[in-house]
Amino acid sequence: MTAAPRPLNLIAELTYRCPLRCPYCSNPLQLRDFPDALSAEDWGRVFGEAAALGIVHVGLTGGEPSARRDLPEIVRRAEAAGLYTHLVTAGMPLSADGLAELQRAGLCSVQVSLQDSRPAESDAIAGAESFARKLAIARAARRLGLPLTLNFVLHRHNLARVEEIIALARRENADRLELANAQYQGWALANRAALLPSRAQIEAAAQAAARARRESPRPEILFVLPDYFRGRPKPCMGGWARTHIVVTPDGRALPCHGAAALPGLEFWNVRERPLADCWRRAPGMNAFRGEDWMRDPCRSCPERSRDFGGCRCQSAALLGDPAATDPACSLSPHHSAIQSALSDPAPTTPAWRYRTPTGPPAPPAAHTMRRVL
Amino acid sequence: MSAAAADLEARLRGILRERYHHLHPFNQRLHGGRCSREEVRRWVKNRYYYQTRIPIKDGLILTKAEDREFRRGWIRRIRDHDGDDAEGARAGGLELWLQLAEACGLERGDVESLRGVLPGVRRACDAYVHFVAEHDLLESVAASLTELSAGPFLAERAAAFRKHYGWIAEDGLAYFLSRTEQAPRDAGEGLAFVLARAQSPADADRCAAALLRKCEILWQLLDGVEWGGRRPRLARAARLREDTAAGGMLAVLPERAVQIGGSGPDVLRACDGQHSAGQIARSLREKHGGAQIEAEVYDFIERMEAQGVLEMQP
Repeated sequence: MTAAPRPLNLIAELTYRCPLRCPYCSNPLQLRDFPDALSAEDWGRVFGEAAALGIVHVGLTGGEPSARRDLPEIVRRAEAAGLYTHLVTAGMPLSADGLAELQRAGLCSVQVSLQDSRPAESDAIAGAESFARKLAIARAARRLGLPLTLNFVLHRHNLARVEEIIALARRENADRLELANAQYQGWALANRAALLPSRAQIEAAAQAAARARRESPRPEILFVLPDYFRGRPKPCMGGWARTHIVVTPDGRALPCHGAAALPGLEFWNVRERPLADCWRRAPGMNAFRGEDWMRDPCRSCPERSRDFGGCRCQSAALLGDPAATDPACSLSPHHSAIQSALSDPAPTTPAWRYRTPTGPPAPPAAHTMRRVL
Repeated sequence: MSAAAADLEARLRGILRERYHHLHPFNQRLHGGRCSREEVRRWVKNRYYYQTRIPIKDGLILTKAEDREFRRGWIRRIRDHDGDDAEGARAGGLELWLQLAEACGLERGDVESLRGVLPGVRRACDAYVHFVAEHDLLESVAASLTELSAGPFLAERAAAFRKHYGWIAEDGLAYFLSRTEQAPRDAGEGLAFVLARAQSPADADRCAAALLRKCEILWQLLDGVEWGGRRPRLARAARLREDTAAGGMLAVLPERAVQIGGSGPDVLRACDGQHSAGQIARSLREKHGGAQIEAEVYDFIERMEAQGVLEMQP
């Protein structure tokens, strides 16, 4: 068994409640299985245990973390544990005063998600009137001197506006701009036919990002060519249970946002055991840690130390086998599972289904899966 | 002269008018008398690296030439730069630059060692040598045509130094004066060669691109000089944490952490937004000694800036 490495980052999913209904949400499909079970005090204990493990950074996320009224208390406890506290917010129900209170509690930086450069389009995909409030929170962050990241999830319906998005980020004087191509897992996989862009769209956006980087070092622009279009898997989470620990609202310690949905893996709960045990000893954490679990073509591949074998959740969702080589890799015998989704777009774009607490109405993309396999 | 040649000459002169480094903010300050002694010294010390690359670049150009007449003319440039020991009396451009350095109060050995050359300056100068290594004779000579602007520019420079920087003795200005004479002659020969050899519109395009690239390189050289005067400080988004798990220090930023080992924490502590990169490197050299320390400090500061750990005081 590979020894547990020292983690650096805690992803604290404080709640899965969210006023938005984005159809590419990375939260699990069955949100009701994850009640908010950790109090601010519980989180404080987890932060202390995380710091003792070597963690230096906590991303406070969700759902929407500001949906929790005790968020200032949670931030205070993260600060007291010595962690760098980074808030990942949709910008509502957070208020400018609320953000100032979080800063006083020790908040180090904030990421505000926007869905599009244009208000109507942004509100449409968020499934809620939200653009103006998000922008107001971003501006409040600037006024307070909080380092600001703007995040846009990219998909077929907004990729054409990447230049507009970059212009918006410059206008708002953001420090960082995350152009995050939708990752087709969870809700995004369920809505893949409605969201998946064309290769031409992705390439044009990549060029726009490269141009913007040449023009100016600000904002720092993060744009990664998505795995569907690279022929190589993404280095998911920097390797399974290697540098990040996700703790879900109900206290499960996971190696990534989606791992709870993988069948047959046992993860432990921070309400029942110390975080160190959940990290080092939980069978699920060790299932794909290191390289021992790999099969060919991964186990003899020189790229395995860079991409860590890709994404287990993607192999599970598309191939039914989390130990299989990520089908995003052109060396996978099942690469056609990705290619056919790209080469065989729906003749008309289907409507997306918004995120709901009870999951999508139909089994997620089941017919699509059968067809592509 | 053919119409095509006249067009090309006009095009090349147009590029120089708009892109030559006489327009760079540093040169505008230097000639306007607005540079401090420290800035003048930094420029002299760093620009020496460029001087050392010139004979190497000219050697590469010689290897591309089949024509004996061309080589006979071009080899003179290397003599002009390196000096002519056989005759003894005639100091070359490199020697004259070292005399300028001494007149500015720099130590000859320190400048010759190239130890404190700023990373951006080194990259720009190396880029010129690489350009010539990788392009043909026509493009290499076209790249040298920045000298068309150098003659008048250096005359202006000598006058500006006399007027604004009286603390530099007149002896130190010999380089500018000698190049004021050499550059127009060199440029004239280079231009005649380029106009005669550029036979097609594609050749003309290549010559224009080469000259534009050279202008960029000279511009980047001065960016590199200015970088040494900028005052780094811990970035607003960064927090330093003792690394209790692995020892040393971590700089933590939104969604990333950077391990700082060795003497890195010392350098970061010195980056207070008050002192320039050059001052920090010098003070650490005085504190710790070691021949390479200045270059290491510069590389470290540059890396930290690229990773967002440090930012420059506006």
